Amino acid sequence: MPLIRKPSSAGSSTPPTPAPEPAAIFDALARGNDDERWSAARAAADFADSVPALAEALRREKSQVVREALFLALARIASAQSVEAVLPFMRSDDASIRTQATDALLAMKEAAWPYVPALLRDKDADVRILACGLVRDMPREVAVKLCCDLLDSETEPNVCSAAVDVLAEAGDSSALPALERCASRFGAAPFLAFSLKLAIDRLRSQSSRA
Amino acid sequence: MFLTEAKRYYVERRLVERMTETGSRSFEDYFARLRSDLQREIEQFVNAFTVNETYFYREEHQLACLSSDLLTARLKVKPRGEPIRIWSVPCSTGEEPYSIAIWLLENWQHVDQYDIEIIGSDIDTDAIALARAGVYGKRALMRLPPAVVDKYFVASGNETWELMRDLRESVRFTRANIISRAETEPHGRFDVIFCRNVLIYFDDLARRTAAENLFENLLPGAFICLGHTESMSRISPLFDVARFDHAIVYQRPAR
Repeated sequence: MPLIRKPSSAGSSTPPTPAPEPAAIFDALARGNDDERWSAARAAADFADSVPALAEALRREKSQVVREALFLALARIASAQSVEAVLPFMRSDDASIRTQATDALLAMKEAAWPYVPALLRDKDADVRILACGLVRDMPREVAVKLCCDLLDSETEPNVCSAAVDVLAEAGDSSALPALERCASRFGAAPFLAFSLKLAIDRLRSQSSRA
Repeated sequence: MFLTEAKRYYVERRLVERMTETGSRSFEDYFARLRSDLQREIEQFVNAFTVNETYFYREEHQLACLSSDLLTARLKVKPRGEPIRIWSVPCSTGEEPYSIAIWLLENWQHVDQYDIEIIGSDIDTDAIALARAGVYGKRALMRLPPAVVDKYFVASGNETWELMRDLRESVRFTRANIISRAETEPHGRFDVIFCRNVLIYFDDLARRTAAENLFENLLPGAFICLGHTESMSRISPLFDVARFDHAIVYQRPAR
């Protein structure tokens, strides 16, 4: 039988690589090649003190693969400091970086939640739209309240649409007044009127069944 | 492992099982036992929560893809003399790694020309012990042609069949938690990884961590096969999609 069982030299008997010291990690993040920076980013996730070095590396990083590891390391640390390191990348001109930042914040769950109300009031409508994606994962009552408050003050139909999507999934009858007020303000925006009607019909139907 | 409110009954049932098994009088008693890892309770607890439902030749189209496309692609770039390394993780009670071995013996014309190293790994040590024993019931064998069962298994009574010794000894089994880099990295780099129907049980952060670990365990240009309901594209940007006639799999970029 040609199949072999014994470990090959290709690695199955390789002992685990000793965890590198933080100084070596920071040096690799700053000066390593793609592979070294990727490995350093992964190792840095085990050290909460590495947040400033990870944030600095993110500002410089051009490789999407390494950047993914940097965002994931910050997400695994999940502290207020690591959230604050990720937040600026929600304003990136590069859509893939904005998405990676939002995914990292989503993964940080409770650590990111205190920042969401401010993101929903951000002057940049794109940031407010991404923040609606973060609301989706929050406790239902909090999510509904945040989205209703947003709808009452929001001037940008695309942001309203993102909040309406969240309410259509997570909302209950308490969201109906805010949705109806929004419908009366934005009746002229056909795509928003459509999604508002869908959400209102769904929530009314849910509450009549309850 | 990510368990939502919908899994409350699943969790309760297994907790009650462990509490009964350990003679714990209350949850507090059991929790204290778990936290102190008395008589390796953490391992038993993890074992109770894993799902070990599988069978031979499950998702056969991926095995066809392995023999018709993936190995052909790997042989084009592998230095001569190096073994082909295949990792089944999680391997549950062994049906998948043994299926890979049987499939290659039956369907890959070059099987005699190469050393093929197959490793099966799982977090559940009870499942690994069953995998090493290689004894299976009728349901596990339902997709295997009768001639294949006759060729590789011996009836061992009570509607069970034992895998022939040579084949049992051709697969190596290890414990591995794919979320832990310290446990995945020592397994080395592979030409093909089968990681099917496990990522769906993880939350987003665990899924992405596992994806990075598995990426590290692939040789440049090597392949990973997920379950048919799973998509690596939704988990991580690290991998390329590789489309073949029999299956869509994911590939670590060659560079």
